[in-house]
Amino acid sequence: MNQTTRSHSQLRRMVYAAMFGALTAIGSLIVIPMQPVPITLQTLFTSLAGVLLGGSAAALSQVVYVLLGIIGLPVFAGGKAGLGILFGPTGGYLIGFIVGAYIIGKITEARQEPSLVWITMALVVGNLVIYTVGVTQLSLVAHLSVIKALLVGVVPFLFGDLIKLVAAVLIAFKLRNTFKL
Amino acid sequence: MYNLGQYIPRQSPVHNRDPRVKLIGVVVLGIIILQMNITGLLAVTALFLVISLIARIPVSSLLNSLRPVLPFFFFLFLVYVFFTPGHPLPWFSFGPVKISYEGLQLGIIQISKFLLLVVAASLLTMTTTPSEITMGLERLLRPLRFIGISSYNVALLVSLALRFIPMLLDEMNSIKEAQLARGANVNQRRISGKIKSITNLAVPLSINILRRCDDLVDAMESRGYHPGPRTYLYELALTRTDYGLIATLTGLLIVFLIYHP
Repeated sequence: MNQTTRSHSQLRRMVYAAMFGALTAIGSLIVIPMQPVPITLQTLFTSLAGVLLGGSAAALSQVVYVLLGIIGLPVFAGGKAGLGILFGPTGGYLIGFIVGAYIIGKITEARQEPSLVWITMALVVGNLVIYTVGVTQLSLVAHLSVIKALLVGVVPFLFGDLIKLVAAVLIAFKLRNTFKL
Repeated sequence: MYNLGQYIPRQSPVHNRDPRVKLIGVVVLGIIILQMNITGLLAVTALFLVISLIARIPVSSLLNSLRPVLPFFFFLFLVYVFFTPGHPLPWFSFGPVKISYEGLQLGIIQISKFLLLVVAASLLTMTTTPSEITMGLERLLRPLRFIGISSYNVALLVSLALRFIPMLLDEMNSIKEAQLARGANVNQRRISGKIKSITNLAVPLSINILRRCDDLVDAMESRGYHPGPRTYLYELALTRTDYGLIATLTGLLIVFLIYHP
């Protein structure tokens, strides 16, 4: 009996991971007009996966998202797709999503009843991780200095990401009780 | 209804290759392209043109696949052109803004590399169906079991996610329509309004989807699903040509790594 419930919850975790992979993909298609660059909801679902699914399932959900792009669905930011994007200058962000979601999940899991402040902290750290991995690949692949890479790869998105962060905290708090794995 | 993929169905030797060969090809070419000089890049461009000719894929659809990456690459190009120190071009200097010869050269070479990467991947996705690529990835990722990741599960999750996407789009549209019918203002201009409209979409979407996930889990459980090795209706099989191509690609990579440490 005990074993059935455990395998059941493991399967549930996997299906939720697939779902959050799909949600992240859909999120990149939802564009909200903004200055200076329009924002997409994809990182919103990356953050939510971290908070709601916990470390490993969240990372799995982002692996699924990246694979969806690799097999040719236009689900990377701005309708891009394919392995070329993963190797290219912006591919670091995709790897960053996997690492970031894992870290957000791990930080959230560290507390039994994470407070609003704790979740916010987890999301801030997670976003910093995504930026770090993204900027590292950008400056390595495109042979840019770190300052230039920050100028191209972080500054235009800061404001939109801040808005998504606030939204993610609010949504995570509303959904946390519904998502009992 | 939702034709999200890029697959172009044709009968061609490129389409018929095993997905694993094409995946390895994209990875190897990806590594090589990033280190190449201008002659190499021209050679790769020629190679891609030949492949697209054999695959009977119009060059226009390859160019179309580049469209989404253009805005960011153009921005990156400007950074190269304006911020690379070097000899300024005489006919391009507006006060303090100068275009250097080195910057222009670097910009053109770098952006062509990135564009070729995208073309390589598009050639893969245009000649291979998503489910074939998933199968190929599943086979190639099998060694991951040594670090505790089951490639069977990953492949299953990708197919599940593929199945979820049209469902999510439907769900999203009906939530939007329901909100519009109740007089919601979707084009909020203020920041708090934008946050609110994001929340108003994401919360019901996640909750509705959650219910569907639970149904799916029950359905899988009651059909006796258990994670682990599975068999397929169509098994992948490498032909002699496929082995030859893999050997060529591996040789190419080794030669390249020796001469470009």
